[in-house]
Amino acid sequence: MDAALIQKGVRRCSFGQFILFLAVVGAVLLWGVFAMLLCWIKGLNQTNMNDYYGFALWIWADLAVIAIGGGAFFTGFLRYIIGKDELKNIINYAVLIGFICYSSALLILAIDIGQPLRGWFIFWHANVHSMLTEVAFCLTCYFGVLTIEYIPLILGNRQLDRVPFFHNLSHNMHEIMAVFAATGAFLSFFHQGSLGGVAGVLFGRPFAFREGVFIWPWTFFLFTWSAAACGPCFTIMITKITEKVTRKRLVKDNVIELLAKISGWMLITYFAAKTIDTWYWAAVTAPSKGFWMMDFYSGNSLYGLWILFAEIILCAFIPGLILINKEGRKNKTALMIAVILAVIGVSLNRWVMVLQVMAAPVMSFDTWAMYFPSWQEIATTILPVAYGIILIAISHRYLPIFPQEKELNPIE
Amino acid sequence: MKEEHKHEHKAKKYGMVIDLDQCTGCGACMVACMAENNVPFRKDETDKFLSITWMRVYQLTNGKSFPNTEICYLPRPCMHCEGEHGHSPCVSVCPATATDYSHETGIVSQIYTRCFGCRYCMAACPYHARYFNWWDPVWPEGMEAYLSPNVSPRMRGVVEKCSFCFHRYQIAMEKAHYEERHELKEDEYQTACTQACPAGAITFGDLNNPDHAVCQMKKSKTAFRLLERLGTHPKVYYLSSREWVRRAGDNYLRDEDGKVMDKRKLRN
Amino acid sequence: MRIDRRSFLSFVIGGAAGTALTPLPWKITDDLAIWTQNWPWTPEPPDGEAAYVNAACTLCPGGCGITVRKIDERAVKIEGMKGHPVNDGGLCILGLSGLQLLYGPTRVRTPLKKVEGKWKKVSWDDAIAEVAAKLSELRGKGPQSLACISGSDQGTVPQLLKRLLTAYGSPNFMDMPSFQDAYAITLKLTQGVDASAAFDIENSDFVLSLGSGIIEGWGSPVRMFRANSSCGEKKGALVQVEPRLSNTAAKADQWVPVTPGTEADLVLGLAHVIIKLDLYNKDFVGNHTFGFDDWTDGEEKPCKGFKQFVLENYSPDKVAKTTGVDEKTLTTLAKKFADASSPLAVCGRGEGKTPGSLHEFIAVHALNALKGSINKKGGVWAVPESDYISLPDLKTDDVAKKGLETERIDGAGSEAYPYSKSLLNRFAEVVGTGEQSPVHTLFVSGANPCYTLADTQAVKKAFKKIPFVVSFSAYMDETAQAADLILPNHVYLERLEDVPPPAGLSQCVIGLSKPVVAPQFDTRHTGDVVIQLAKKLAGSVADAFPWENYEACLQEALGDKWDALNESGFVATEVTPAGWEKAFAGTPSKKFEFFAAGYQPVTIEGEEKTFPLILVPYDSMRLSGGFIGNPPFMTKTVSDTMLKGNDIMVEINPKTAKSRFLFLNDGDYAILSTPKGRVNVRVHLFEGIMPGIVAMPKGLGHTAYDDYLAGKGVNVNELIGPVEDPGSGLDAAWGIRAKLTNVPI
Ligand SMILES: Nc1nc2c(c(=O)[nH]1)N[C@H]1C(S)=C(S)[C@@H](COP(=O)(O)OP(=O)(O)OC[C@H]3O[C@@H](n4cnc5c(=O)[nH]c(N)nc54)[C@H](O)[C@@H]3O)O[C@H]1N2
Ligand SMILES: Nc1nc2c(c(=O)[nH]1)N[C@H]1C(S)=C(S)[C@@H](COP(=O)(O)OP(=O)(O)OC[C@H]3O[C@@H](n4cnc5c(=O)[nH]c(N)nc54)[C@H](O)[C@@H]3O)O[C@H]1N2
Ligand code: SF4
Ligand code: SF4
Ligand code: SF4
Ligand code: SF4
Ligand code: SF4
Ligand SMILES: [Mo]
Repeated sequence: MDAALIQKGVRRCSFGQFILFLAVVGAVLLWGVFAMLLCWIKGLNQTNMNDYYGFALWIWADLAVIAIGGGAFFTGFLRYIIGKDELKNIINYAVLIGFICYSSALLILAIDIGQPLRGWFIFWHANVHSMLTEVAFCLTCYFGVLTIEYIPLILGNRQLDRVPFFHNLSHNMHEIMAVFAATGAFLSFFHQGSLGGVAGVLFGRPFAFREGVFIWPWTFFLFTWSAAACGPCFTIMITKITEKVTRKRLVKDNVIELLAKISGWMLITYFAAKTIDTWYWAAVTAPSKGFWMMDFYSGNSLYGLWILFAEIILCAFIPGLILINKEGRKNKTALMIAVILAVIGVSLNRWVMVLQVMAAPVMSFDTWAMYFPSWQEIATTILPVAYGIILIAISHRYLPIFPQEKELNPIE
Repeated sequence: MKEEHKHEHKAKKYGMVIDLDQCTGCGACMVACMAENNVPFRKDETDKFLSITWMRVYQLTNGKSFPNTEICYLPRPCMHCEGEHGHSPCVSVCPATATDYSHETGIVSQIYTRCFGCRYCMAACPYHARYFNWWDPVWPEGMEAYLSPNVSPRMRGVVEKCSFCFHRYQIAMEKAHYEERHELKEDEYQTACTQACPAGAITFGDLNNPDHAVCQMKKSKTAFRLLERLGTHPKVYYLSSREWVRRAGDNYLRDEDGKVMDKRKLRN
Repeated sequence: MRIDRRSFLSFVIGGAAGTALTPLPWKITDDLAIWTQNWPWTPEPPDGEAAYVNAACTLCPGGCGITVRKIDERAVKIEGMKGHPVNDGGLCILGLSGLQLLYGPTRVRTPLKKVEGKWKKVSWDDAIAEVAAKLSELRGKGPQSLACISGSDQGTVPQLLKRLLTAYGSPNFMDMPSFQDAYAITLKLTQGVDASAAFDIENSDFVLSLGSGIIEGWGSPVRMFRANSSCGEKKGALVQVEPRLSNTAAKADQWVPVTPGTEADLVLGLAHVIIKLDLYNKDFVGNHTFGFDDWTDGEEKPCKGFKQFVLENYSPDKVAKTTGVDEKTLTTLAKKFADASSPLAVCGRGEGKTPGSLHEFIAVHALNALKGSINKKGGVWAVPESDYISLPDLKTDDVAKKGLETERIDGAGSEAYPYSKSLLNRFAEVVGTGEQSPVHTLFVSGANPCYTLADTQAVKKAFKKIPFVVSFSAYMDETAQAADLILPNHVYLERLEDVPPPAGLSQCVIGLSKPVVAPQFDTRHTGDVVIQLAKKLAGSVADAFPWENYEACLQEALGDKWDALNESGFVATEVTPAGWEKAFAGTPSKKFEFFAAGYQPVTIEGEEKTFPLILVPYDSMRLSGGFIGNPPFMTKTVSDTMLKGNDIMVEINPKTAKSRFLFLNDGDYAILSTPKGRVNVRVHLFEGIMPGIVAMPKGLGHTAYDDYLAGKGVNVNELIGPVEDPGSGLDAAWGIRAKLTNVPI
C-alpha cells in the first residue's frame, strides 16, 4: 500500500503488520499523552514529587536520555572532526536517536516545569550563573542542530527526493553538514557538561557538590566524558535491537567494532576519572563539610555502597574491558552485555546525581526522604520511549537511514 | 556631612537571632507568617513534604533514651544565605533570575511572576526553606476577605519562601522617604514572626548595624548557624546554652574532637 | 528551480527573520505568560486604606490585647497589642488564626431551626418569639427545668444569662470546669476565703509544676510564655513533673517523669524531706498555721497533724516506689525547693481543663505553706473574684423564688457537694439516667460540651433527651449540631464585650473588646438576645432587664471604668494579697489549715489486668483542645507525630511498643481500647514518655466544623469518662486505663 514511499532495493514488512505495530506502541503513547495532559491541566500535584524531591524521575529521565543520546554528538565528532569515515554508516542512526532523545528531553522539561507557558523566561531573563541556563541554551541550540541534521534524512525519502527543491535543499544541507556537526559537537560538549554542573555546583548538597576548575565542577567533565563513552554504546545497542527486530543486518561489523573500541577506551578512562573523583570527594570534599562518605550510603533502605560498585566497576570498568579487547568486541553476546552495562551505568549515575542528592539529609536532624513516582510520572516517562520507537519505525521504513542495508541484504 | 552620607548608604544586612533556650515550640511564628504572607492551606497538611510553611519549627531530640531525653525546638525561616558575594545556593542556580540577592538589604527575594517552576532552587537549598505550589491556592468561600494586599497570593507552579517580610521593609522605607529619612530605626522594620513570638525568642535587625540588638547577639559564645561548614553564610543565627543543640546545627565527623554522635537519632 | 548555497541560506535566514518579525508569535507567547500570572482563579486582594484597630482576643480566657490591621472594611491581620499588660505584642497561635474564624466556613450565618433533622433558616423575631413562648409555657410547671451551660461564669454575657435564669426561677446555671474550681475549694478549706488562685510566677525563683502546661495553655497562655522566658533570664528554675516530655517539660530546667496519678504522693514525699531536714518556714508554720502538729479536737480526741502524717506515710523509699521517682531525685528536689527564696508549687494538669483531685491540690498547697509561699511575693495568692461588673439587684417573683429553692440538677452546693458551685461533669449522668430529663430547655453559650466534656457519647445521649436545646454558638460546632435552635452570636471581632480578668494573674486586667468589623452575617449579640428574650417574657423577668440593649447594659455594668476601657481597651490594677495576719480570718482557727488526711486520692477507671497501660490526654499549643475548633492555620502546624492523614498518632515509649505481646514499629496501626471505647490509632515511638503510658493529643476527632477539621483523628474525650472526686464532686479523671493491640492482619 505504501510501497511507493519505500526505498527501492530494501525489504519491509507488510503495511498491515506495520500499522498493527504502530497501533500497539501508539496506545502506550496515548497513555503517556493522557498523563501529560493531566500534568498540564491539573498541575504537578499529579506527581509524587514534593518539596524534598523537587527534582525526581523526570529530571533523571532528562539527564539519562541526554547522556545516552550523546551518541549523536560523539559519533558526529568522530566522523566530521576526527575523520573516522567508516562512521558515516551509522551516523544517520546516531542522529536519529539523538534527535529522539533530545526532543524527548525538551518535552519532559516542558512537562516538568510548573509554568510551562513561561518556560521561555529561561532565555528572556537568563541568569548567566546558572548551569540550567547553560543547559537550556545549549540544549535548544543543539536540538536545532539535530533537526537540521535530521531534515536531509527526511528529504531522502523516495517521493520527497523527487521534488527538485527538496532534492537540492537536501544536497546543500549535506554539503554544510560538517559545519553543523562541528557546532553540534561543541554545543554538546558544553551542555553534557552543564548537566553535570547542575548537580556539581550545589554547594548546599555535599553529596552532589564537586570542586573543579573555574566555574565548572568535576562533574561537568565527568558527564561529558560518560556521555561520550556511553552514548555510542546506546547507539550500538539500539542498532543491534533494530537488527533483531527487523531480522536484518543493517550496519557492518567493522563500523560497530570501531565505535565499540572507542567507547571502550572512553569507558576505561572514564572509570579512572570517576574513581579519582569519588576518592577525592570521599576523602576531601565531603569531610570538609562534616560528612563521612558512609553518611550518604547508610541509614536508608535503598542507597548503599552497591551503587558505587555497580556504577564504577560493574558498569564502567567491566564493559570498558570487554570493549577494548578484540575478542570482546567480536563476541556478539559480550558486546551486547558490554553496551547494555554501559547504558545502565550512565543511567544509574544520572539517577544518583539527581535522586540520591534529593534523598540524602543535609541538616543533621533531617531524615532520608524516599520517593516512588506516580503513574502519571511513569507514563510520561514511557511516552518518549513509545514516541522514539514510532519515529524509528517510520524512519526506518521510509528513509534511507542505513547506507549499508542494501549491500548487507541483497534482494535476489 | 560626607561622613553621614557614607553611613546612610552603608549596605544593610538583615538577619535574625533566634534564642532556642526561649523558644517553646508553640508555632505562633509559623501562623504569624502564614497570616502575614497569604500562605495557602489545604484540607490535609499532614504530609510535611507538601506543606508550605515559610517558617517551620523542627523538633530536635538529643537521641538519648527515657528519661534522659531532651527536646529542642528550632524555628527555620529562610536563612537568606549570603554565600560568596551574594551567590547563595538558590540564587546562583535560578536560570530565570526569579530569586535574587539584594546587596542593599541582604535579603533573598523571590519573584513569583517570573519563576517558571523548575525547582532547581529547591534542590540547591539544604535547609528545605523553599516550597513549591503543587496546587492552586484555594481559600474557602469568604475567607479571601482576609488576604493582605501587600503580598500577592502565588499561583500554582511557582516556588515561594520566607521573604523576611520584605513588604514590611518597603512600607517602612516608603514612610521613611516620605519623612525624608534614609535610615530605618530598628523597630520600624520587624518581621511578623518576630513580633508575634510570645516567648520573645526571635530578634531581627541589621547585622551590620552595631545599634541593632542582633549585631551584638550574634557574637555570643553560644551562637551558631545551621550548616556553616557548607559556606552558605546564613543570616539566621541561633543561640543555645546546650552543647548538643549547637552541635546539631552542623555535621561533624565521628572522630572530630573525640565526640561521637549518631546524627540519625537527632530527629524523633 | 535551482537552489545554490546562497539562496538556501537566504531562505533559511529570511524565513526565520520573517516569522520573528511578525508580532503574532511574540504577542501570543507574552500574553500566555501574563495570563499564567493572573489566572482568574488566583485571588488578587484589593488594596485600600490601611488602619489599625485595637481590640481584645477572647478565644481563650487568656485575655490578650490585639491590634487588627484593616484594609478598608476588611480585617487582614491580627497582631498582639504592644504594651498590653498580658501579652505585650506577643500572641498565641490560636489568637493569630482568628481571622479564619471570622471569615471561615463554619460560621452559623442566620438563626437556624431544626425541622425533622434538617436546618431551616428562621428570622430573629420568630426565633426569639419561639423561645419566649416555650419559656412562658414551661414557667408555671417549674422554672428550674430551664438550664444553661456557659463557657464561663465571668463577664457580662454569662452574668446576663445567669440573671435571666435567676429572674426566671432556675438555679441551674452551669459553667465549664477548670482547675480553678479545685483551687477555689482548696482556698476555701485551707484559708477560709472565696477566692481564686493567682500565681506570682514572674517573681518566683523556683517553680515546681505538677503537670501544669505552663506553655501548653495553662492559665493565660501568652502571659505564661512570657513568665517562662523571664524565668530563664533571671535564672529562676522550673521543674516539670509529668509522665511525658511535654513542651513545658522540654523547656523546664528539670523534667521529673512521674507515674501519673501519684503526684500528690510525690508532693507529700517532698514535704517529708523538708520537714525531716527542718527546712520549712518556722515563722509561717509556727505562727500562722493550724494542724501542722498533732492536736486534740473539741471532744478531746487526739488528731494527727500534717507533720506526723507525712513523716509516717511518705518516706522517700515508699514514695519512690509509688511514683517511680528515685529517692535521690526526690531528696535533691525537696532541698532545692526548700532552698529557694520564693518557691512555688502549682498544679492543674496541662491546660487545666479538668479540675483534678482535691487531695492533690491540698497537698500542693500544703507544700507551698511549708515554705510560707502563700499570699507572698513569688507565691500563690488568694485573690477575691473581681466584682468589676455592677448590675442592679433584681427582684424575683414567687414562681422564681420557688424555683430557686429547688436543688440544682448537678447537685452543686448540696449536702453531698457543699463546696462546689457547678458540677457539669455530673450533667450527663443526671440527665441521661432518669426516665425523663429534669431539664426541659437548655441554653448553651460559649461552650461546646458535646465535644469537650469527658465521655462525650454520654453527653450527646443526654442532649438527645432534652426536649429543647438552644445554642448561641457562632460556629456549627458539635453542640450546635445537637441543638434544636441556633441563635448565632457575633464572633469576637464583631462584637462589643468586656473581657474578664484572666484567672491566675497576679494583676487584675479587665479588657474591653470592641468590634473590629461589622457583623458579616445575620447574627446577633448574645447579650442583646438575652435582653430581648427577657422583655418578651414580661413581668419580673422583663423588669430585671431594663436596658434598651446590651451596650447600655454594659455601660451601666462597667460604671466608672467604661471611659477608661473605651479609651485604652484595658484597665490594669495591681493586686495585693492580704498579709498573713489577715489572710486566714475565715477559717475556724483563723489560721492557715493543713488538711492532711482528709481527702482521698482518686483512682482512674479500668482494671489493670485487662488494661495494662494508662491513657493520658495531652495538650499541644498547636491544637485547640476545648476552646474553639482548630482553625486551618493551626491544623497546618500540627506535627506529623500527632496526626497523619486522618489517623491520630498516640505517643508511646519504644519499650511499650515491644512488650506484652505487642510488636509495634513507629507509625504502625494499632487498636487502642479503654473501658469507654475502642479506636484505631497509629503509634509514634518516642523516648520522651514513660513506659506504660499512652499519650493522645486533645483537640482532634471533631465531627462538626469544616472539612479542614472534621474527621481528623479521635476525640480523646470519647475514651475517657469522668471520675468524681470524693471531696469536691468535680471531675478528677486525669486518664484512664487502656490497652493497645496489634491490628489483626
Ligand atoms: N491553644 C490553646 N490555648 C488555650 C486553650 C485551647 O484550647 N487552646 N484553652 C484555654 C483554656 S480554656 C484553659 S483553661 C487554659 C488551660 O491550660 P492547661 O492547664 O495547660 O491544660 P492540659 O493541657 O489540659 O493538661 C495536660 C497536661 O497534663 C499532663 N498530664 C496528663 N495526665 C497527667 C497526670 O496524670 N499527671 C501529671 N502530672 N500530668 C499529666 C499532660 O502531659 C499535659 O502536659 O488554656 C487556654 N489556652
Ligand atoms: N474532657 C475535658 N473537658 C473539658 C476540658 C478538658 O480539658 N477536657 N477543659 C475544660 C475547660 S478548662 C474549658 S474552658 C472548657 C472549654 O469548653 P467549651 O467552653 O465547651 O469550649 P469550646 O469547645 O471552645 O466551646 C466554645 C464554643 O463556643 C462557641 N463560640 C465561640 N465564639 C463564640 C461566640 O462569640 N459566641 C457564642 N455564642 N459562641 C461562641 C464555639 O462554637 C465554641 O465551640 O472545657 C472544659 N471541659
Ligand atoms: S513563636 Fe517563638 S516560641 Fe513559638 S515556636 Fe516560634 S520562635 Fe518558638
Ligand atoms: S535558606 Fe535556602 S532558600 Fe534561603 S537563601 Fe539559603 S539556600 Fe536560599
Ligand atoms: S523554581 Fe523558580 S525560583 Fe526556583 S530556580 Fe526555578 S525559576 Fe528560579
Ligand atoms: S520573616 Fe516574615 S516571611 Fe520570614 S518566616 Fe518570619 S514572618 Fe515569615
Ligand atoms: S492566649 Fe488566649 S487570649 Fe491570648 S491570643 Fe491566645 S487565644 Fe487569644
Ligand atoms: Mo478553661
